[in-house]
Amino acid sequence: MKKKLLLVTGVVLVVLLALFGRDLLGLYRLQDYLDTTTQAYEAEGPWPQTADACLACHGKQGSSLHQRYPSLAGQPADYLKTQLHTFASGQRMNPNMQPLAMSLTEKQIFELSDYYARQPALDNHGFDPDPALRAQGGKLAAAGACMACHGEHLLGQGPFPRLAGQGADYLLAQLDAFAEGRRTDPSGSMQAISATLSPADRKALAHYLASLATAPK
Amino acid sequence: MAEKPPSNSFDLKRRQLLKFAGATAAVGGLGLHALPASAEGTARVRDSDDGVLDVAIIGAGMAGLTAARDLHNAGCQSFVVLEARNRVGGRVLNHDLGGGQISEAGGQWIGPGQTAVADLARELQIDTFPTYYQGKTVVLGGEGRLEVDLHGTFGTDERIGAKLSELSKVVPSGAPWTSSRVAELDKLSVGEWLARQGIKPEDRSGWDTSLTLTGGVPPARMGLLHFLSMINSASCDYMKLDSIKDSAQGTRFVGGSQLLCTRMAEALGDKLRLACPVREIADWDREVVRLVTDQGEVRARRVIVAIHPALCNQVRFQPALPEGRAALQRAWPAHSPARKTAMVYKRPFWRDKGLNGHTVEVKGQVLWAWDNSPPNGEIGVINAFIVNAMVPSEPAAAQRVLAQIYARSLGDEALNPIGYHDHDWGQADPWSITCVSAIPPGFWSQHGESLRPACGNLIWSGTETAEIWAGYMDGAVRSGHQGALQALASLRQA
Ligand SMILES: Cc1cc2nc3c(=O)[nH]c(=O)nc-3n(C[C@H](O)[C@H](O)[C@H](O)COP(=O)(O)OP(=O)(O)OC[C@H]3O[C@@H](n4cnc5c(N)ncnc54)[C@H](O)[C@@H]3O)c2cc1C
Repeated sequence: MKKKLLLVTGVVLVVLLALFGRDLLGLYRLQDYLDTTTQAYEAEGPWPQTADACLACHGKQGSSLHQRYPSLAGQPADYLKTQLHTFASGQRMNPNMQPLAMSLTEKQIFELSDYYARQPALDNHGFDPDPALRAQGGKLAAAGACMACHGEHLLGQGPFPRLAGQGADYLLAQLDAFAEGRRTDPSGSMQAISATLSPADRKALAHYLASLATAPK
Repeated sequence: MAEKPPSNSFDLKRRQLLKFAGATAAVGGLGLHALPASAEGTARVRDSDDGVLDVAIIGAGMAGLTAARDLHNAGCQSFVVLEARNRVGGRVLNHDLGGGQISEAGGQWIGPGQTAVADLARELQIDTFPTYYQGKTVVLGGEGRLEVDLHGTFGTDERIGAKLSELSKVVPSGAPWTSSRVAELDKLSVGEWLARQGIKPEDRSGWDTSLTLTGGVPPARMGLLHFLSMINSASCDYMKLDSIKDSAQGTRFVGGSQLLCTRMAEALGDKLRLACPVREIADWDREVVRLVTDQGEVRARRVIVAIHPALCNQVRFQPALPEGRAALQRAWPAHSPARKTAMVYKRPFWRDKGLNGHTVEVKGQVLWAWDNSPPNGEIGVINAFIVNAMVPSEPAAAQRVLAQIYARSLGDEALNPIGYHDHDWGQADPWSITCVSAIPPGFWSQHGESLRPACGNLIWSGTETAEIWAGYMDGAVRSGHQGALQALASLRQA
């Protein structure tokens, strides 16, 4: 009896697979994807998490494919914390970020900064640099001694952000903002440096920095 | 910037006002120039002898244009609409697909209970038609794929929806901060509340997506009180807010939502000034308010400010606004700059396969894609809200990525689109900044009382101020009616 039943279920399964094979496989894979993504998510804590609100603009684990919305992955925690604070106080201006930062508690600011600092920085594959601009940008970066603050490979350190692999349009917008005095930094060095750069120089720098590898050999 | 506009801008203003004064001799004195609109023929601005208008409206979105229309219908001739962009519509915009077809880049649907916008459309002789949802929706995730008939819903757990509906009864849509349970409800995010409902892992992504689409942010940062006020707008029925059939995503306008705005604008003639951003609002606490614009100065007794509170932060106020209102503007969330795309095909080929053209991705690049074809399916259009940072910014690259996703959900025909349109509301220009308002926990308790009270001669309008359906086109229309009424009533008293 038991054997017969097993046989029947076997037959049913075969028929089902023949009829809905693609569907069943698709469903199985969907379930599998749900399980793995849930597990990865819960490694950071239970659902839902504050960082959910950052995903749309800053991407999965803080890596943005959009050249104008910055990647946060691998940014120094110090830098991130300071930016959230200066957005909240109105010292750094951005119409989207200011009210959002104002609504965060100190604890949330700490956790977000810590979370993004821990995420792996990825190369900016979505950007196609102009070779001439990139070369020109490389010279400017060396001449401007960017590495003195942003680190040997421009991966950021302490209060200084990672520039390597950052979104090209974002980098350019920041250089312009520094040059025009719309963004300031405590030492004033970014303003001083950017002010000496022509708009074409700033564009070249953005092309160079955006195309730099985040895991230099 | 200069505190005082240079004198040549004053001359420019005089000349413009004289031009607008037209042939029908200015009517002097304070108050309304109440002539029946029909007696005037085409609309023409008329200021009084002193060059001061009765009303200036800032913003030619659905709210500002509705206010203008009401003023005109009430016989008020002494007003202008000042619009920053060189088009009307604000957050509603039609993509021109060619061949007389369109697809909406901004607000597009209306639903049950949205009677103000539905009435306006009828008055403007604009028809509606149902969103196409018949057939199976495709759910994608990783390599996974599932076809499922959701019967015109998003497949949300209706048991949870019913609980939210019940709770929403105590949260008045127009004034959530007056709820009898404000202290308890405004402390929580929707996420914190959902976490207590034991949402299963497979349902979480659905809540993340639906809150992002409806509220502008995932549950973690959405204020529960605010979300309940939105459900309250939907007749206290969650399914009327967050579903398709018989819900707020169920009905579209023939010719697209922007048509309502272009029709209203046509009737305004030269009372509408495009490419005319207001940079400064001065003397709002005096009898005559001065507006400094890129086309010179405009003076008016009343000003209807029909722009989003976050947009008010781009305007200088002299003197500074009262602290309550200023704080509300500073804190108003503006981090929902949606990116909406339209992929165009020769035909809605998916319909032949029993698919409704809707795709939902679990933790993917597409939040929700849907069939946005014209009423008779003459061409096929797939619109989508996408996760901005997970799709390349460059439109051609974005088109390739999305076409491949649609190929997986709808079939290989999807690889051959005949057009693609991409609109990122956060980047396209500085005149929207954000789409819907992701009001966080605690916001209404702190700022609610400052939302509506006029400041001097400034009357606050725009969908964010609506009593019902705030944030929606319906709310914009309601707030426009309200703004016009307030302006007219206060001018009469003067
Ligand atoms: C992607 C997207 C999808 C949406 N989906 C829907 C939907 O399906 N259904 C729905 O009901 N709603 C939807 N909405 C919301 C809906 O579009 C808005 O609620 C409505 O259009 C708002 O109208 P409004 O007139 O209040 O504001 P706006 O449309 O924002 O109008 C404000 C106007 O003021 C102008 N302006 C700004 N600053 C100045 C200044 N300083 N001087 C002069 N002019 C200025 C702007 O250019 C704009 O034209 C959606 C919005 C977006 C962006």
